[in-house]
Amino acid sequence: MWKQVRERETGVINPKLFANRVKSNRNSSLQLSNYKEIVSAHRGAINSLQVDLTEGRYLLSAGADASVAVYDVQRATEYVASGLVAKHKNILLVDKQHEHGHKYAVSSAIWYPVDTGLFVTGSYDHFINVWDTNTTQVVMNFKMPGKVYKTAMSTLSTSHMLIAAGTEDVQVRLCDIASGAFSHTLSGHRDGVMAVEWSTSSEWVLLTGGCDGAIRFWDIRRAGCFSVLNQSNTQLGRRSPLLQRVITNKASTSKSSSVGTSSKSRTAQGKHVNGNGSKHSSITKKNFSQEKASAGKRLHPGLISSQDRSTAHYGAVIGLKMTSDGLYLLSAGSDSRLKLWDVESCCNTLVNFDIVRLQTSKTMQLAVSPDSDLVFVPCMSTVKAFSMWSGQTMLSFRSHYDNVNSCWYNEQDQELYTGGGDRQILVWSPFRSNFEHEDEWNSKQQGIALDQDNWSD
Amino acid sequence: MSTYNYVVTAHKPTNVTHSCVGNFTSPQELNLIIAKCTRIEIHLLTAQGLQPMLDVPIYGRIATLELFRPHGETQDLLFIATERYKFCVLQWDPEASEVITRAMGDVSDRIGRPTDNGQIGIIDPDCRLIGLHLYDGLFKVIPFDNKGQLKEAFNIRLEELQVLDIKFLYGCPKPTIVVLYQDNKDARHVKTYEVALKDKDFIEGPWSQNNLDNGADLLIPVPPPLCGVLIIGEETIVYCSASAFKAIPIRPAITRSYGRVDADGSRYLLGDHNGLLHLLVITHEKEKVTGLKIELLGETSIASTISYLDNAFVYVGSSYGDSQLIKLNLQPDAKGSYVEALERYVNLGPIVDFCVVDLERQGQGQVVTCSGAFKDGSLRIVRNGIGINEQASVELQGIKGMWSLRSATDDPFDTFLVVSFISETRILAMNIEDELEETEIEGFSSQVQTLFCHDAVYDQLVQVTSSSVRLVSSTSRELRNEWKAPPGYSVNVATANSTQVLLAAGGGHLVYLEIGDGILTEVKHAQLEYDVSCLDINPIGGNSSYSSLAAVGMWTDISVRIFSLPDLNLVTKEHLGGEIIPRSVLLCTFEGTSYLLCALGDGHLLNFLLNLTTGQLTDRKKVSLGTQPITLRTFSSKNTTHVFAASDRPTVIYSSNKKLLYSNVNLKEVSHMCPFNSAAFPDSLAIAKEGELTIGTIDDIQKLHIRSIPLGEHARRICHQEHSRTFALCSVKYNQSSAEDTEMHIIRLLDDQTFEFISSYSLDQFEYGCSILSCSFSDDNNVYYCVGTAYVMPEENEPSKGRILVFLVEDGKLLLVAEKETKGAVYSLNAFNGKLLAAINQKIQLYKWMLRDDGTRELQSECGHHGHILALYVQTRGDFIVVGDLMKSISLLIYKHEEGAIEERARDYNANWMTAVEILDDDIYLGAENNFNLFTVRKNSEGATDEERSRLEVVGEYHLGEFVNRFRHGSLVMRMPDSDVGQIPTCIFGTVNGVIGGVGGLSHEQWRSYSSEKKTADAKNFLDGDLIESFLDLSRSKMDEVSKAMAVPVEELMKRVEELTRLH
Repeated sequence: MWKQVRERETGVINPKLFANRVKSNRNSSLQLSNYKEIVSAHRGAINSLQVDLTEGRYLLSAGADASVAVYDVQRATEYVASGLVAKHKNILLVDKQHEHGHKYAVSSAIWYPVDTGLFVTGSYDHFINVWDTNTTQVVMNFKMPGKVYKTAMSTLSTSHMLIAAGTEDVQVRLCDIASGAFSHTLSGHRDGVMAVEWSTSSEWVLLTGGCDGAIRFWDIRRAGCFSVLNQSNTQLGRRSPLLQRVITNKASTSKSSSVGTSSKSRTAQGKHVNGNGSKHSSITKKNFSQEKASAGKRLHPGLISSQDRSTAHYGAVIGLKMTSDGLYLLSAGSDSRLKLWDVESCCNTLVNFDIVRLQTSKTMQLAVSPDSDLVFVPCMSTVKAFSMWSGQTMLSFRSHYDNVNSCWYNEQDQELYTGGGDRQILVWSPFRSNFEHEDEWNSKQQGIALDQDNWSD
Repeated sequence: MSTYNYVVTAHKPTNVTHSCVGNFTSPQELNLIIAKCTRIEIHLLTAQGLQPMLDVPIYGRIATLELFRPHGETQDLLFIATERYKFCVLQWDPEASEVITRAMGDVSDRIGRPTDNGQIGIIDPDCRLIGLHLYDGLFKVIPFDNKGQLKEAFNIRLEELQVLDIKFLYGCPKPTIVVLYQDNKDARHVKTYEVALKDKDFIEGPWSQNNLDNGADLLIPVPPPLCGVLIIGEETIVYCSASAFKAIPIRPAITRSYGRVDADGSRYLLGDHNGLLHLLVITHEKEKVTGLKIELLGETSIASTISYLDNAFVYVGSSYGDSQLIKLNLQPDAKGSYVEALERYVNLGPIVDFCVVDLERQGQGQVVTCSGAFKDGSLRIVRNGIGINEQASVELQGIKGMWSLRSATDDPFDTFLVVSFISETRILAMNIEDELEETEIEGFSSQVQTLFCHDAVYDQLVQVTSSSVRLVSSTSRELRNEWKAPPGYSVNVATANSTQVLLAAGGGHLVYLEIGDGILTEVKHAQLEYDVSCLDINPIGGNSSYSSLAAVGMWTDISVRIFSLPDLNLVTKEHLGGEIIPRSVLLCTFEGTSYLLCALGDGHLLNFLLNLTTGQLTDRKKVSLGTQPITLRTFSSKNTTHVFAASDRPTVIYSSNKKLLYSNVNLKEVSHMCPFNSAAFPDSLAIAKEGELTIGTIDDIQKLHIRSIPLGEHARRICHQEHSRTFALCSVKYNQSSAEDTEMHIIRLLDDQTFEFISSYSLDQFEYGCSILSCSFSDDNNVYYCVGTAYVMPEENEPSKGRILVFLVEDGKLLLVAEKETKGAVYSLNAFNGKLLAAINQKIQLYKWMLRDDGTRELQSECGHHGHILALYVQTRGDFIVVGDLMKSISLLIYKHEEGAIEERARDYNANWMTAVEILDDDIYLGAENNFNLFTVRKNSEGATDEERSRLEVVGEYHLGEFVNRFRHGSLVMRMPDSDVGQIPTCIFGTVNGVIGGVGGLSHEQWRSYSSEKKTADAKNFLDGDLIESFLDLSRSKMDEVSKAMAVPVEELMKRVEELTRLH
């Protein structure tokens, strides 16, 4: 550590690299915290955890006992063990007793991405509630056609306030907080939807994973889904070699002139809709459309073709997580597989994560470290951290007594919060030696010795 | 109190990060372009060496710098990209001699993780596109159209995870990049891609090469006819192309920079991390590469960039030492080195620590920095203002005026020094023993005060007294002619040059005389309405002995007038305003521009641009130099004319870049000054001050003076001890002779005058010096040096053991009097209420200084506070402790005497990664963080709730663009007791790039807007001093616009800004 501080001082390593190195060092020493505890207020399994995105300070948790709680993870409520262990108690709790509380398990609780004034909960009682944090009152609710498995809001959005909801129903609904109504119903899945995730690179792109094993990409400005991931599409990074490309290009220039113009007009239209500023969506539709177009097959947005039936997992998709740079997607399935997808090419990267078993019945919440090096996955009662690129298990977190449902990685402190069926929220933090014990003990000993001397005089 | 903080750089960045050579300013001229973090310097190669042409500030930290030449252009354009994702293409405008922006834009993406290994910006050799690697996994392309204009940028997905370098290949029909990358098994490979501009995608390239040297991290593209690429590793160098693969082993070295020697790319200069310069030669038969050869040339500063200029001249830019201009000789010198250093360009960076001391005890701070790194480490003593090096002095009271005279008109040296008193005139001269002794000039009247003296033509001297003007032969020293004032009138003020005399007598009489051979002729007499207060006829036109203009300052109407000579016609009259009369006027020329300077009785100085033909005065500017009347005199140093303003705060006025600059002279009070260029004291000044006449030489005329003390080792921490008049350093000595680079950590004691090592203490193996402090303890009169260390074990992530060593300086020796083991690295030490406060890993620990029974002393821990990630930086004030954490911003602790405990009072909840902290005053704390920002937080003791009181409120944010390593209280400038800017408490900072800046409590916005990974906010409560001071560079019309917008008169505005510039 001192060496790195020194290298930063002399400019040998740039400060950003310094911070990244420190963070990854700290990540590799994550263990059950010996100085921070969160006192869970739930009397049921914990289904969802999220720290707010603005201050990185308030942890929102949802439990199977229909309760929702908020904890301040920066400021402790009390210190125990002579000030060495900080206890964080809930600063807000909504449970069944609350007049607007949910009746059944809350499956998902998320913060409004812009500030901590609102949060959104989805429950098995078919309702999605929007809460005012300060008054703890429901300001809006949405009645869904079935149990709500997962809710999500876009962290990038500047022009919409939509809650995407995955439910027992085959349709994914978008609930608009601005109007209080459903703005979209997205049809395509053939079974309930357990995982919804907004793209981290475009505010218009939504990813959903269904119990039918499909992962669908939706551009909410257009009808239908624009891509379905196929687990057998595995040729990542393979560019057509020099000669072949020239030939196909030559062939296609004459053949696809009409196709080319039509696709061009469509992209032009798309740009118009884009308006200002979202040209950098790295999920460029051009690739899907153009490559398919050059293959001579014109894609309808609805994807009626055989591609529509392709699956990402054998079994339900139970968790989705996009990396913060929007380049990769992780999916977890009830087939006990974790898959890493390259988003732009929709390729399965075939990274083999050594997972033995995943729980199958519930939505699970994955977490990814911001440098996309580690992915935290609940594997039954342990949480494992895998290297994103090799799939090797880097760390195992064993302390829960029951299945873990959710993990949340706190970027600011490099801490991991996990919650599961044992009703506990555990804090995993970088190693910190608590040598103060010995120190104080030593000095006390000395003090006693001195005292004795004094007495004997 | 004001919450604004004025931030200004006193010393610009000197760390050279990039350089390139090309025909930028004209097709025939060869230019060297250097990037120094936020500045670009354009130099011209001439037969005499490098000639600076322009220094351009860039609003951003330069990430890439490339010259390129689009088709059809005859000269190069400059492409610059900044770390905040702005880019621009610059072009030279030969008419205005300026750089103009040809294109600019933003290449940032909203999403994407910035690359760890720095940004890459490259230009296709055939100018088809610019390639940028800014974010992991993406390659951004900015294509050129046929006319060389830039088109819209797009991204191409680059699947390689860890890209180390990307370069364009030469001689490819389609733009082709070669990518050096590392896979997830840490193996390194290269791969080529063609860029398909139409498809906006890559096509698999012509070749690839797997499993290279594990240390490979630099690619050098080889130009035609050979083409291909050189891959520089730590142990091998490989040449690779579609058809050939050649490799040679090298001595293990990390190559940091390269420079191409020949246009055909057969020879390259490589600079490594130890500052060794190698020549790499590609041997070839026609276009077929047959092998590689490498040869050691010699040692330079550790190069961050190498540019081969021409004719074996090479520019070596360095981040860790002085940059150099070197010549490569054909034959080795005695030490076997082919390298000859011709010039060194001072680089202060990286400033890892510094202290502010007043070594001469003049009330003027000097900064002693730990500069440079590795073998190029040094101490630099930075001093503001111009120093006078005293050569001789005599005690003389009541000097009223001084002039130097020559014994003959063509004598290059001055012989006589005329010193005038209230009722006599004495003449000093150099005798044969080169001593100054009193002499006499018979023709001079010595019983009265002399008003003015000057050499005149025909070997004559002129003396003006209140009653007469005497013309004296300088050879025979006899009176040749005398002009007597009419009875009843006495001459009050007078001036002269070698052919003219102008004098003013009471009642507004102005008399103009001309000097002939042995004759004084009264040419013109004029009657003015008021009395004259000062005069000047310094010749500034084409004729160096005759002035066609006379400047006259007036009583009563407070004006300055320009008269034409010889007819004494009024040309211009300029009212000065106010009630203070002009005391001294001076006509002078700086850098070909004529000025009229007019000094007032209250220490203000006005300057005007003077049109020599029409006599018009324009562009009036006012500055405050001191508080007492000023006397202006010209003098020359190094063949340039400067003006000395003698007053209570003596100042040298000079010009640089056509802008008048005012530099303090490090003397307390000077009443008179005259140049005295004698054979014994060449280029000296005679200075009258406080009952003393001093003859001394003057420093180079520049603002900051930097003295270098090369150490040959890397000083990391420094502190000064007034008591023993010593400095102590924590320093690292690198041993490169053995196979593995080893480090030795030493505590050094230096004399504060000679800067020589007088004592050393070697630390244990693996033990690093982390912090140093000079302090004393309660109940002990000695002053100690305390050193905090850490044992850095290779296998440990964080040190778990360290020591605090307490030294006493006795007879110039470091004497270890106590040591205390700690459970971690001692990152910081502070004196705290007669005790010692240490920051040890995550803990703040307070130690008492206890007397043991046997009379020895020891450190005993009293109390501590934990709860930090790493307490890297600590400052204290009273009972308050301000901690800058590794990543948790600033927190405020308080020591409670009654309980003997340290408690947290408040903290800033932002996640700032700190790099330095300082306490500005009781409530406001200054911090610098990892993303080059400064911010201030305020203690909120009046908060209504506990929550509010426990939060440090962020009150100021500012993007400095510099990595600050240290803040220290102090100032580089002598304190002025009664100037309102003199009251501002200031703080100096030192940065990695060698910037020394000051912070004082007092749209370009995009650059200064606070930026970190998470948020970008407008700068608040910080004033950009550099911007404000650039106001003085504006043209008058622009200034008027500014003043109109601000509703403040231009003059007032200028005066304020000039005052601020004197803060540093």
